[in-house]
Amino acid sequence: MSGGRIVVAGLTKQYKELRAVDNLSFNVEPGRITGFLGPNGAGKTTTLRMLLGLVKPTAGTATLDGQRYADLKDPLRHVGAVLEASSAHKGRSGINQLRVICAAAGLPRGRADEVLALVGLTPAAKRKFKGYSLGMRQRLGIAAAMLGDPRVLILDEPANGLDPEGIRWMRDLLKGLAAEGRTVLVSSHLLSEMELLADDLVIIAAGKLIRQGPLAEVMDSMGDIGTVRVRTPQAEAFAKQLTEQGATVTPAEGGLLRVSGLDAPAVGRAALAGQVELHELTTERPDLERVFLELTAGKAGIR
Amino acid sequence: MRLVRAELVKIRTTNAWWLFTLTAVVLAALTFLLNLVNTNYLLDHTDALTEGLGPEQQQAILAQLKPDVIAANLGTSGQFFGLLIVLVMGVMVATTEFFHQTVTTTFMTTPHRSTVIGAKLVASALLGALIWLVTSALTIPATLIYLASRHLDAGLGDASVLRAYGLNLLAYVLWAIFGVGFGVLLRSQIAATVTAIILYLAGYIGALIIFSVLENWLGWEWIQKLQVIVPSLASQLMVTNAELPGSPPQWLGAVVLIAYAAVSGVVGTLIVRTRDVS
Repeated sequence: MSGGRIVVAGLTKQYKELRAVDNLSFNVEPGRITGFLGPNGAGKTTTLRMLLGLVKPTAGTATLDGQRYADLKDPLRHVGAVLEASSAHKGRSGINQLRVICAAAGLPRGRADEVLALVGLTPAAKRKFKGYSLGMRQRLGIAAAMLGDPRVLILDEPANGLDPEGIRWMRDLLKGLAAEGRTVLVSSHLLSEMELLADDLVIIAAGKLIRQGPLAEVMDSMGDIGTVRVRTPQAEAFAKQLTEQGATVTPAEGGLLRVSGLDAPAVGRAALAGQVELHELTTERPDLERVFLELTAGKAGIR
Repeated sequence: MRLVRAELVKIRTTNAWWLFTLTAVVLAALTFLLNLVNTNYLLDHTDALTEGLGPEQQQAILAQLKPDVIAANLGTSGQFFGLLIVLVMGVMVATTEFFHQTVTTTFMTTPHRSTVIGAKLVASALLGALIWLVTSALTIPATLIYLASRHLDAGLGDASVLRAYGLNLLAYVLWAIFGVGFGVLLRSQIAATVTAIILYLAGYIGALIIFSVLENWLGWEWIQKLQVIVPSLASQLMVTNAELPGSPPQWLGAVVLIAYAAVSGVVGTLIVRTRDVS
């Protein structure tokens, strides 16, 4: 499996009064899961729809291996997308939804049964869509996206409506697909889920790029909000020592200190130098939620 | 071609197609029976009915009782409702996608939107033809049996009868296409369906009234001839068996109807091509 690089360059969408996406540029690499994060109304869905040729950009381009979506010869064989779980005819059975797409995309009819089995919906194949739960609808959407065995998968808020088991299933599925070398782009506001799932992050707010890069880098770039937890019987003395070295120390009960301004190795060295007995030394990584709130602070709001 | 097949699969995999077909068949059967009773009565009581009438009126009644006119009339029973049904069906073929938001998937599968609309036009035309076939499979044999039972000599060998049936088919196809164009134009399923039905019915009744009022008011005789620009009346003109004195030629009705189907389809396609799907 080769190719599948998504390049978004200067992408802009101006609605009458609202600039939904504002000069947005980012890359999505194959073989990795990229989390596309932003508060509600940040322009995530509009961006994905422009990437899929459904919405016309005001300026800029979104390309897949250098080609616009509309110029792909058999788009479903390149890109699979799950946009909203409700987009199916209520009176049509699950298997028939897929057969319609097979017919339109020139795929063999049997693919419908294969992908339905892949998402575990075979028992509900003949049930009408209106009888599907939200979780089943999401699974059907993923099945539809997999019909053409695409190199690129694009999912808009796929975890919506999934129960914990469903979320776990989807995480494993997407990780497996990325491991096969496919490009996986997942938009979400479920930050904790992204932390477990994504390799790379693209964070936007108010239509603008806030940050992009590997998950760890994005988190580290927010290092100043991280703290080090230290537990020691000599809490008072050690706090004083650390403060002298320029750290900010917040003492807590049970000999616990929260140290910011120094990283864990520095705190460890300080303890060694001061002959302080340590019972615990942990870096408290800022969780994604805090990074996210920090980065997008003041930029969400109603637009 | 595979898009036309996909459109047919879409229709076949919902309840809509057999509901439409069933309604068309039932209504065709009912109108056929009504026409049959009426014709039978006229045939049985011709003398009594024409007694004391002026020669012109007598002529008019007798003209209706010519075997080929009876054959055409009975064989195309159900047309009034049949055309309405294919119109609504065409509207549904286009608007269901917007209603259920499946248009997202459809346009992702086929980014060239004009070919999607083209496939819808073709599929809808095929369905219109299918509904014509199903209703005609009922009315035409029944007509032939009736004619034989009355020892009237007319049938499929008769050019004017064949033409009436053929034009009936053309009307079904054109109204189905018109429906798709209309649906693409309006997008809202409810608005498009209601407007189409009103246009169809009002076209028959309202336009007739408006045009005669205009004619009386302005005193211009040619205004009556403009009736042909109303789709329903154009359709009626096209399928009328006999050339009536004073009315525009039959082919003009066909031309007007084809123009409507083409214009609505093309304008709808042009709009859909650039519109954002969200």
